[in-house]
Amino acid sequence: MKIESTDKVKKGLAEMLKGGVIMDVVNAEQAVIAEKSGAVAVMALERIPADIRADGGVARMSSVGVIQEVMDSVSIPVMAKARIGHFVEAQILDSLGIDFIDESEVLTPADEVNHINKQTFKAPFVCGATDIGEATRRIAEGASMIRTKGEAGTGNVVEAVRHMRTITNQLNEVLTCDENQLVALGKKFGAPLNVLQQIKEQNKLPVVNFAAGGIATPADAALMMQLGCDGVFVGSGIFKSGDPAERAEAIVIATTNFNDPKILGEVSKDLGEPMVGINIDTLSEEEKLAKRGW
Amino acid sequence: MKVGILSFQGSFFDHSKSIETIGYSPVFIKHDTNIQDLDALILPGGESTAMNKINNYQNIFNDLDILIKSGIPTLSTCAGTILLANQVVGGNITIPNIDIQITRNAYGRQTESFEGSVSFFDNEDIYCFIRAPKITQLLSDDVKVIAKHDSDIVGVQQKNIVALTFHPELNNDRYYLDWLHNFIKEGKNVRTF
Repeated sequence: MKIESTDKVKKGLAEMLKGGVIMDVVNAEQAVIAEKSGAVAVMALERIPADIRADGGVARMSSVGVIQEVMDSVSIPVMAKARIGHFVEAQILDSLGIDFIDESEVLTPADEVNHINKQTFKAPFVCGATDIGEATRRIAEGASMIRTKGEAGTGNVVEAVRHMRTITNQLNEVLTCDENQLVALGKKFGAPLNVLQQIKEQNKLPVVNFAAGGIATPADAALMMQLGCDGVFVGSGIFKSGDPAERAEAIVIATTNFNDPKILGEVSKDLGEPMVGINIDTLSEEEKLAKRGW
Repeated sequence: MKVGILSFQGSFFDHSKSIETIGYSPVFIKHDTNIQDLDALILPGGESTAMNKINNYQNIFNDLDILIKSGIPTLSTCAGTILLANQVVGGNITIPNIDIQITRNAYGRQTESFEGSVSFFDNEDIYCFIRAPKITQLLSDDVKVIAKHDSDIVGVQQKNIVALTFHPELNNDRYYLDWLHNFIKEGKNVRTF
């Protein structure tokens, strides 16, 4: 007996990525650097979020050529982004045999009401969330992994911290409520009841929850891990910095040793220039990617 | 009983749940400071390339090698089994302790990951194979086959080491937990057959 792409197998891959760092790459050369630096997976992109932000315009799924080039160059799992609600981009990624699809607010949304029904795909999905309502709605749609949205391409960790703290506080509210309060909590958070019941049963989120959006330094990665994230996505932070290979390695070591300030200090030494950050206050509401998603 | 679980990254938390369920104490291993007085060892699934890289910094694989060779019950799953294999196709030899050749990502990418029936010792159940490696050759008579999926060898035992390519820690079924309990309890006397 053999059944492919079951819910358990999809969530299982996310379990295997735990405690690891997933890095954005735009070509085979960067993918190899990421793999050699200890990444547990790479995100194949045409442009990293900082450049998407700078370039403006409509950001779409990366070209199939770039994605395949990355898939052919490394032995670790390869992820790629589809636009929110763009189920055809997801179908194309699925047909390429991609290992994980990120239905991502970093790209320009294709549907202003609906997300992709993720149950019907062979590849597992990861989705961004700013609170427990968003996280549980994505899980109800079939996401096998959640990440904070943060504010991608800014090198500023403040939004990722806000989202993680919000999710943790709301999760604690669900975990400590009595069964009679569950429907009302579902209404308050905009959270599907069946996922809240799963949370109660398992005494935790039913999927892995990574940090993403603005992580630029080893200390940022360790901060998100100490706040309870299961692992870290680093987008622009690595290949927009002075010495990508060294910074990538330092972030990997920091993520494993997130509770050890001495090691964090050691790996943070002589790292060269981090990416230039952006203050969230200077962004207009339209420029905030975390607002995308419903 | 203290059971060390290699915790650089991967499914170490799931293994710790199994260990707690059978009444033993999990110890998350990242440094050489917490590998003293262990009664058993688990090398979990994850990405073997990442674990290798992280060890360049943590530098504990030599100590784990000594621990394994001392004869304590050792269980590996998926990437953990790649770490222990004497021959690796598509990857590095890391802590060679089992006479097998293993091939990384042998079933294909994630879209080929599956749940499949496995005969594990004298039980049959359904387990997850996630971007799993394949045991493609047995390199000595000391290696006994203890688990099969169809004709594929998915689990072997050599002395104190049981090495699997699937993920029993994602099931935590009664048979697996009872087996794990006894395997660890037997300690250094763990039977080869």
